[in-house]
Amino acid sequence: MMAGTIVTNNPLARDALNKIFFVEYRAESAAELLTRARDYIHAGGRLLTHPLSGGIAPGETPYKTVLVSDERGPLDYDSLSMIERAIETCEEFSSRAAPEIFLDDYMELDLAVIKGALKI
Amino acid sequence: MELDVGFIDINDIQFSNEAGISGGVLRVDPDAIKALILSDERIRSVGVEIARPGESVRITPVKDVLEPRVKVAGPGEVFPGVLSKVRTVGSGRTHVLRGAAVVTVGRIVGFQEGIVDMTGVGADYTPFSKTVNLVLDFTPADGLAAREYEQAIRLAGIKTARALGELGRDVTPDELKTYRTLTTTESAGAYPGLPRVGYVQMLQSQGLLHDTYVYGVDMKQSLTTVIGATELMDGAIISGNCVSACDKNTTYHHQNNPVVHDLFDAHGKTLVFAGMIITNENVYLADKERSSDWTAKLAKYLGFDGVIISQEGFGNPDTDLIMNCKKIEAEGIRTVIITDEYAGRDGTSQSLADADRAADAVVTGGNANQVVTLPKLDRVIGTMMYTERIAGGFGGSVGEDGSVTVELQAITGSTNELGFNALSAR
Repeated sequence: MMAGTIVTNNPLARDALNKIFFVEYRAESAAELLTRARDYIHAGGRLLTHPLSGGIAPGETPYKTVLVSDERGPLDYDSLSMIERAIETCEEFSSRAAPEIFLDDYMELDLAVIKGALKI
Repeated sequence: MELDVGFIDINDIQFSNEAGISGGVLRVDPDAIKALILSDERIRSVGVEIARPGESVRITPVKDVLEPRVKVAGPGEVFPGVLSKVRTVGSGRTHVLRGAAVVTVGRIVGFQEGIVDMTGVGADYTPFSKTVNLVLDFTPADGLAAREYEQAIRLAGIKTARALGELGRDVTPDELKTYRTLTTTESAGAYPGLPRVGYVQMLQSQGLLHDTYVYGVDMKQSLTTVIGATELMDGAIISGNCVSACDKNTTYHHQNNPVVHDLFDAHGKTLVFAGMIITNENVYLADKERSSDWTAKLAKYLGFDGVIISQEGFGNPDTDLIMNCKKIEAEGIRTVIITDEYAGRDGTSQSLADADRAADAVVTGGNANQVVTLPKLDRVIGTMMYTERIAGGFGGSVGEDGSVTVELQAITGSTNELGFNALSAR
């Protein structure tokens, strides 16, 4: 597994992953989170996990966790296009804000997906 | 590898103290089914109900659909590696209760299970309005974690489908068909002049609650590999998914994979069905690269001239789909991809989250964002409590007259990416 930083707005993911990874947590919207992940890519990092996951669009779910590389290099256009598409999707689905009764489900689902990706 | 499949046509399911099959009627003892399921302490209670085509019944939230089958001769049992020993299946003889289905219902993650209407507009959009369904409506034990609950329901569905299939062991089938998977040497010599066509099936494997099991193995943990197409008919691939209902492949879809059936039908006429590859859809990007590298490598190794690629789900699997397509095309092998679209309610948005010039032959299963209004039906099996929140439902989707307005996303199997349903676009 490549060394990376977890960028998340999911407190459950922060608590579960901060012993294994460097976790950059902020309480913020999915759109803000994706924009923050894009900053890492602009700075030469690469996306290591896909920002669309779990069969549920960002914007629809407020929680999102992505892994970005610590390694810095020239701008990675694949990562940039993936994160830009995720931001577009987020805008498209933002009208479907998460109902409160499902917030725990969304949190757990996001964590399950990232743990599955990291195989931990 | 040769499999004889005996189809026993089932026109109705009825409750009876004596289980069995006669005259196209499957008699089920509901108490026996309950006892079978409740042996798992993770399930507090289960309702067993029948839903027939044309009845004013709505089933929701639907998790999985399975077809009852039984292995009559040959190695192994149906659903190998799950409740039975791991033996390579796909040869010998299998009986199918055609027209019957087991439907599992339960709220697992609240928003990702589907709707099956047995009549009205909704019935037109799901294939499971045409089957006679034994519906299992679960209530979990208190405090059961979602992942445990998913597994419990998955196993309960398999147990029930297997128990019902067993009733067809000694019944004379209405139709018998033989399917033969060729070895590479056999297919190399067969029908010179016809193109060698392979099938790449992508399996959902994003993580817990989004997994597919092959011989009991979580496909997320596997490298891309080769499988005999008849193995699917014996339940080698099982759904463990809680993704959008419209384009997840239920276990029933795997058992009846239409790409496999059409390739068998076309074999020797317009093409040679030269083999099948299964691959995963992981979230980790390095996994995507590795799996698609292996797909292209195996397609080349097996000497395919053309490949059909089917997808499962949407969003990040679009990336796997395009990687598979690009890399296989780069080996000089032509591809056709089967997908569905999230093109917005008016159909004008970009359909896929990824695209490439190499993907120039595409079959679509329809637009998952298309909006439909389903009428109020007399009876609900399960609960409508989550309907607004099922992917494709939205705030205010349940009208005062009891009608439900949803996107096709919410309807089980509506935009299936194996081409199992009737929707498409030109």
